[in-house]
Amino acid sequence: MPVIETEGLTKIYGNHRGIEEVTIAVEAGEVFGFLGPNGAGKTTTIRTLLDLIHPSSGTARIFGLDSQRESVAIRARLGNLPGDFGYGREASGREAVRLLARLRGIDGSGRAEALAERFRADLDRPLGQLSRGNRQKVGLILATFHEPELLILDEPTGGLDPLMQEEFLALVAEERERGCTVFISSHDLDEVQRVCDRVGIVRAGKLIAVERMADLLGKARRKVTVRVADPSGLEELRGLEGVSELQIDGTQATFRVVGDFDGVVRTLAPHHVLDLEAVHPSLEEVFLGYYREEGE
Amino acid sequence: MGSQLAALVGAHLSDRRRSVLAWGLPLGLMSAFIVAIFPSVQGALSQAIEKYPSGLKEAFGIGELSNVEQYLHAEMLSLIVPLAAGYLAVRAVASGLSGAAESGRLDVLLSSPLSRGRLCAAGFLATAIELAAVLAVDALLTGLGSVLSGADLAAGPTLAGFASVWPLALLFAGLGIVACGFSLRTSVVTGSVAGVLVAMYVIDLIGKLDPGLSGVRYVSVFKYYGNAIEDGIDPLAFCGVTAAAVVLAAIGSWLFDGRDISA
Repeated sequence: MPVIETEGLTKIYGNHRGIEEVTIAVEAGEVFGFLGPNGAGKTTTIRTLLDLIHPSSGTARIFGLDSQRESVAIRARLGNLPGDFGYGREASGREAVRLLARLRGIDGSGRAEALAERFRADLDRPLGQLSRGNRQKVGLILATFHEPELLILDEPTGGLDPLMQEEFLALVAEERERGCTVFISSHDLDEVQRVCDRVGIVRAGKLIAVERMADLLGKARRKVTVRVADPSGLEELRGLEGVSELQIDGTQATFRVVGDFDGVVRTLAPHHVLDLEAVHPSLEEVFLGYYREEGE
Repeated sequence: MGSQLAALVGAHLSDRRRSVLAWGLPLGLMSAFIVAIFPSVQGALSQAIEKYPSGLKEAFGIGELSNVEQYLHAEMLSLIVPLAAGYLAVRAVASGLSGAAESGRLDVLLSSPLSRGRLCAAGFLATAIELAAVLAVDALLTGLGSVLSGADLAAGPTLAGFASVWPLALLFAGLGIVACGFSLRTSVVTGSVAGVLVAMYVIDLIGKLDPGLSGVRYVSVFKYYGNAIEDGIDPLAFCGVTAAAVVLAAIGSWLFDGRDISA
């Protein structure tokens, strides 16, 4: 049974689109990335899952429970980091942890102290006195201190410095090892590439693709640079299936390839290949490719 | 789940601990001052009030002013304290709902296994306690002013006078939760309910001034407020207004449960 399952989830705000017919299934123990630019509907989807907003139509089930009727039981088992985390100016992180622990019926503060040490978070200063990155660390602690079965993280690394981003990615990997399911909304495509098993790509409120990360990268247009001794063979690349954006400069050619390299290798082999470099695409290029495809 | 309510009420009161002094001290000191000067102004006041039109005296609850209790009611308990306490109530309850939504805290709290109804109940309960604390500080300082000035203010009626403000102010906490069912902008919530508060006072005043319009007073909570420092607390009015406040809070909670929590 999927941990998160939505069917035709739709949210309309008056005349404005929120999300339309979003159908996804996130399996237990999976790290699922939810990708899209600002305003694509990522946060609306998450807020609907959490019952912070009510869907116009469609259903969402988490742990097999209805996200509206049984939201309290669902939230007992998950941790959530809201996008643009805030908790007011006066309270300290420790006070927030203490309150949330009591609301969850936890004695003590779970692993909050260990996480604070790991992320070098200051739990004693009022949150209003912390920088955005340091507030975000407190938000991460509040989402994870009780070792939830499901983590929902909306733009989790916003404001974190590169070292802390690394620490965060390590934490996500550990959570997966623990058996936790993780749902990450992000437009930081690099971090998603490094940590997610599958991704859903959302655009203008619609889910346009759900792919395994490896499949997604396989579909990507890799950038290739090749240098050959005999340049006459380079023209043979033109029109080859999967090859595009071919540019020839003397004995060197750059182009993009989708799919396997077999045709390219067979074509170039007779012409004495001196050098060949294939750049692994960033997810951003993959993502932009999807957008281009949809636009066409 | 009672522990959730206790935790939320505790956190709410902790957040607003300064407001007990910020509101209680000025109101209490002002009341204490009124009580303290009464012995020296009593004669002149009685002469001046004799010349007031009877309608005006009735409208503002100004009686003979032959004792300090009457003077305290006329100067503080008939207008300033109820309006201030009503406004405090809506601010307090809004801080836990619309204020929390604006700061992002509501998203965090509602990520835990907490129902919105319990959140509203906690805000209402915490506001009731905060109001009681502010009114207790007022009554205490007023009593202190009397002791220091020798004004001879009776303790029981004074307590009754301040206590009778509590259900009236609580009604506006209930209205505040109703307002949060429609808007999560604190300025809208406090502004609209403060408007109702002033409108109810004015409606009651008009009803008192014009006997032909006395019927409109029934829509104002000030009709049921009375003059507890002189007449004692009317248990029916006290309980009735408290019950109305609870009903409004329940309606507000239902509305709040059905609304979206905006990002």
